Amino acid sequence: MGDAFRRAESGTQLLARLEGRSSLKNLEPYLFAEEGFPIHGDVIEFHGPEGTGKTEMLYHLIARCILPKSGGGLEVEVMFIDTDYHFDMLRLVTILEHRLVQSTEETIKQCLGKLFLVNCSSSTQLLLTLYSLENMFCTHPSLCLLVVDSISAFYWIDRSNGGESFNLQEINLKKCAELLEKLVREYHLALFATTQTIMQKSTNSAESSFSLKLQQETDTDYRPYLCKSWQQMVTHRIFFSKQYNSGNSKTFSFTSCHIKKKQIVKRSFSIAECGVQF
Amino acid sequence: MPAPSQRKISIPLHGASCLPAWSASREAQECFSLVDFVSSDLEDVAQKCSLSYKALVAVRRVLLAQFSAFPANGADLYEELKSSTAILSTGIASLDKLLDSGLYTGEVTELMGAPGSGKTQVCLSVAASVSLGLKQHVLFLDSTGGFTASRLYQMLQARAEDEEEQLEALQRVQVARAFDIYEMLGALQELRDSLSQQARGAFFLQVTSSTGPLKVLLIDSVSAVIYPLLGGKQSEGLALMMQLARELKMLAREFSLAVVVTNQVTRNSSTGPLKPALGRSWSFVPSTRVLLESKEATWEKANTQRIASLVKSSRQPTGIQVELDIGNSDAQELSPVTPTQGL
Repeated sequence: MGDAFRRAESGTQLLARLEGRSSLKNLEPYLFAEEGFPIHGDVIEFHGPEGTGKTEMLYHLIARCILPKSGGGLEVEVMFIDTDYHFDMLRLVTILEHRLVQSTEETIKQCLGKLFLVNCSSSTQLLLTLYSLENMFCTHPSLCLLVVDSISAFYWIDRSNGGESFNLQEINLKKCAELLEKLVREYHLALFATTQTIMQKSTNSAESSFSLKLQQETDTDYRPYLCKSWQQMVTHRIFFSKQYNSGNSKTFSFTSCHIKKKQIVKRSFSIAECGVQF
Repeated sequence: MPAPSQRKISIPLHGASCLPAWSASREAQECFSLVDFVSSDLEDVAQKCSLSYKALVAVRRVLLAQFSAFPANGADLYEELKSSTAILSTGIASLDKLLDSGLYTGEVTELMGAPGSGKTQVCLSVAASVSLGLKQHVLFLDSTGGFTASRLYQMLQARAEDEEEQLEALQRVQVARAFDIYEMLGALQELRDSLSQQARGAFFLQVTSSTGPLKVLLIDSVSAVIYPLLGGKQSEGLALMMQLARELKMLAREFSLAVVVTNQVTRNSSTGPLKPALGRSWSFVPSTRVLLESKEATWEKANTQRIASLVKSSRQPTGIQVELDIGNSDAQELSPVTPTQGL
């Protein structure tokens, strides 16, 4: 299916694609457990209850990507798929203004020109949108980062539409996960997706495919509920939570797990007007 | 595109219905759902249906163009938001301060509190402030029977001297009653239809309809229609709740409305912190959440003092508290609407 599109790519585009997508170093060394930066093909899942800073962390990463090199950014393009109608453009602009030394309308618009936003209102529309975005990844070689906020948004609606059969309930998300994996692999992207904690921790350990030892170490309220195709393609899982200190200040913390290497890193951060601060 | 006399393809609205693809001789007939057709290998399909590969690719392109979402550029979106976003005063100065100048359009704001904490009064105050001070239209969806026109009129009388103005403001407040989830979804669908029609009509005719430019949608309360659905093992109730949530957010975003919903509170244990009712899935829906509580006061007189705390916000630090009075207040200072022009 992609053949028709790929034949249109010229030699220079191919080179640009391969070269341009190796620049996600220093994206956010604090977030990752071992080498400190996401490599292509990585699928990073942000998981946590409401109000724990997942979307703020995404704004932080997006700002790091779209800021110019002179402003401390990576100057790459980002595709943001918003399934929650949650994206707050004004908040992103506030963060950019704080980070740019000279923030004029022009520079802000230049940065925002590197961000692409799509809204999806159902899992079917998400799947169809991913198909039509394939063309965009081809023609934009500096598009390195794909963000989906959040991938669990249609969970209850899909379950209800699928009736009695688990397969039917999960089929849309399964197809989305497979297509995302294909896109991430073929176009050398890094995928960040948020999932919401909408269920309580399961007491039945057989249900969770997440290794029990790892779960005890991380001590998180995690119960996997999305389809297996999604769970298996995640390479890093980051759990967010809120901490209440004895003073009235609230900080946030996350536990970052590299699934294959079973490495865990815990860090805390706070959210100020200029965004996430470690 | 294939000639209509030879081949017939009907485009379904959702993946559930079928997409019959007929061959020229009508011998081979394959039925696809929309999703299957888009994700299948077109060369296989071309062989099975003896349709040309080129035609199928063209059909696929048309289907994707029609049903998938189109990416927007960040800079364009920012331009659009700068001109369409407005901040609306709630009519209560301290609450405006808590909300960073007022209610933002394009977002869902939640007021949570125990019964009697003043949620309906705050909603009425918002309706009065927007219809009188800002001269914009308001839709009040009542699911508890708590809306009283006389109380709204009282608030308007406290804020404006001129009877003419008060009556005009009353006309700008539309009230609809919806006592179960289906009535509420129906009312929202009607609202969406009339707003879309207005958007289209405004383009061609300079007609001001009776509903006028709607700016605020108040729903009092959303827990009343959702509580009966929750509980039990079926996920249908949760699916309906998420459908309602999605519809509210889409309305807020697409038509630049400020949506205000009221909700009950629960706690995990008798000493735990108060949290919004309707469960974890609902907790992600509003962008801003305010908790209303009564001030601990003497029981001798009817207490109209309340405390509002900011529980969730993307703009201000959470935890700040202000005091407000929901009773027969004297003229409150109305802050004018401040459209966001260049932050």
